[in-house]
Amino acid sequence: MKNRLSGFFINIIILTLGFLSLLSPFVFPQARNSSATFPIIVSLMIGLCLLIVFYEIQISILDSKIIAFLGVLIAINAGLRFLENAVPGPAGFSPTFFLIILTGYYFGGRIGFLMGAMTMLVSGLITGGIGPWLPGQMITAGWVGQTSSLLRFLNSKFNWREKPAEIITLAIFSAFWGMLYGAIMNLWFWPFIGTAPNQSWSQSAGLMKNIQQYTAYYLATSLIWDITRSVGNVLMISILARTVLTVFMRFQRRFNFRYEQGIKP
Amino acid sequence: MKTSGVWILWLIFNLLFLLSTRNPVYLLIVLTGLLLSGYRMTRKNQRASWLKNNLRFLLTMVLLSALINALFTHNGRTVLFSFPQHWLLIGGNITLESVVYGTINGLTIGALYLLFTIINLALSVKQLTRLIPRAFHPIAMTVTIALTFFPSIQQRAREIKEAQMIRGNRMKKISDWLPLFIPLLVTSLEKSILLSESMTARGFHIPSRLKNSGLPFLGLLSALFFSFSGWILHLFSYPLLISALLYFVGGALVMATFLLSSQQTRITHFQKEVWHSADILMGIFLSVLILLWILFTINKLLPSLTYSPYPALLSPPFQIIGLLLSAVTFIPLLLSKHD
Repeated sequence: MKNRLSGFFINIIILTLGFLSLLSPFVFPQARNSSATFPIIVSLMIGLCLLIVFYEIQISILDSKIIAFLGVLIAINAGLRFLENAVPGPAGFSPTFFLIILTGYYFGGRIGFLMGAMTMLVSGLITGGIGPWLPGQMITAGWVGQTSSLLRFLNSKFNWREKPAEIITLAIFSAFWGMLYGAIMNLWFWPFIGTAPNQSWSQSAGLMKNIQQYTAYYLATSLIWDITRSVGNVLMISILARTVLTVFMRFQRRFNFRYEQGIKP
Repeated sequence: MKTSGVWILWLIFNLLFLLSTRNPVYLLIVLTGLLLSGYRMTRKNQRASWLKNNLRFLLTMVLLSALINALFTHNGRTVLFSFPQHWLLIGGNITLESVVYGTINGLTIGALYLLFTIINLALSVKQLTRLIPRAFHPIAMTVTIALTFFPSIQQRAREIKEAQMIRGNRMKKISDWLPLFIPLLVTSLEKSILLSESMTARGFHIPSRLKNSGLPFLGLLSALFFSFSGWILHLFSYPLLISALLYFVGGALVMATFLLSSQQTRITHFQKEVWHSADILMGIFLSVLILLWILFTINKLLPSLTYSPYPALLSPPFQIIGLLLSAVTFIPLLLSKHD
C-alpha cells in the first residue's frame, strides 16, 4: 500500500513538472527569448523526470520475470515499426501505439509506462535516432501506456470487461492519444522554429497570441499526420485488441507465479 | 577517437558552442566539419546517399524555418513586401531580417540534427547501451534483451509471413495482420517465460527492493527540484550565477546518486573499453575546454559570439576565438587518420 501511494505521488509530481516543462512557452513567455537553448534544457529536465520514474518502477516491480517479458514485448513493438514496409500504410501511420495501449491497459500503469518509453528508446537505438528529441518522445509514449491503466479502472467500474464496450473505449482512447501525441511532440519543437527574440511581450496578451500562433503552426505542419495516426490506431485496436487481450489473459495466468526465497547459505 | 567518453565530451562542447552562437559564419564552418566527418564515417557505398539525404534535410529545415519566421514575425526595417493588416497572424510586413533570422534558426537545427547523427554513426549500439548508468542496470538489461531478440523476432515474422502467403493470405489490409501478429506474439511470450526461468537459474533474480532505496530517490528528486528552479530563475532573468549554482548542485546530486547506488550492485566486466593515449589526451583537452567555457561565460570574459539580424541587418562579426572554437568539430576528422 505504501509502495503504491508513494508511486502515485511521484507520478503526480513528474506529470506536473514534465507538462510544465513542455508547456513552458505558454506558461513563461520569457522562455522564448532564449529560444536556442530552450529545447535542450527542456530535454534535460524531461530526462531527469524519466530517470526518477524509471527508478521508482525499478525498485517497486522490476524482477527477472518482468524484465524478460518487457524485453521481448519491446522487441516485437520495435519490429512493428519495420513491418510498416510489409503492409503499406499512409503517411504518419504508426502501428506501435496499439501494443503500448493494450499492455498498459492489461498489466497496469507502471509496465505500460516502461513499455512506451523503452519502445521509443530501443527503436531509437536501432534506427540511429538518439538525440535531444528522444526524452520527449519517451515520456509522451510512456504517458500513453500509463494513462491507459485508468481505462481499466473505468471498464471494471461499469462492468464492461470482455464486452464490445471495452473495445470501443479503447478505440476512442487511442484516437485521442494519436492526436495528443502529435500536439505534444510539436510543443517541444515549436519555440525553436517560429519565434523572434526581442519582441516586447505584454504577458497578458502573450498567452492568447501564443496559442493562436501555435494553432496555426500545428494546423500547417502536423494535423494530417496526426489524423492518419489516429485512424490507424482505431483500426488496429478494433481489429486486433480482442485477440491480443485474450493472449495476454492466458499468458498472465501462466506467468503468475512467484519464486520463493531459498535458505541462504 | 574510439571511446564513448571522448565522443560524449565532444558532443557536449559542440552543443554548448552551437547553442550560444547564432553567427552564420561559425554555423557554416561547424556544418562543413560535421558533414565531412559524417561522410568519412559512413560505409563507402553509402556515402553519396548519406550526403544527399542530409543536405536535403538541411535545405528543408532552412526553407521551412525561414518561411515560418517570415510569415509570423513582422519585426525588422527592410520591408520586402506586406500583406494586408487584417489577415490573421500573417498580416503585416514581411522583412528581410526575419527571413535571415529564420535561416539562421534552420542552420542551427540542421547542425544539431547532424551532430546527433554523427554520434549515432560513431558509437555502436553496444557502446550506447553501456552509457546507461549502472544504477539503472535492470533497465539496461531490458534494453539488451530487446536488442538481442529484435533480429530473431524479425526472422520469425518473415517466416510466418511466408507461411501465410503460401496459404493464400495476400497481406494487403490491416485485418490480414491478425494471422501474422498473433502467432508472433504467442511464440515470443513463450520464449520470454523460458528466458526468465533461465535468468533466475543463473542467479539473476533482482532483489527488487534494494536496501535503503529511499536515499537515491531523494537525491534524484532534489536534483530535479534544484535544476528546475535554476531554470525558472534563469527565465525570469535573475543573475546567471544563481542559476549556474543551482544547475551545478542539481548535476552534482545526480552524479553522487549514480555513484552511490552503483556501488550497491556488482556487475561483471566484459570486453572493457580501452583508452588509448590519444583518447586520454583528447579527453583532457575537451574537458578543460568545457570547464574554461563555462567559467568564462559565467564571468562574462568571452566576447559575445552571438549575432542577431534585428533590428537592422549588418554583416556578422568575425572573431579569431570563434573560428578556433568552431574548428573543434574537425577534430574527429583529423584523428580518424590514426585510427
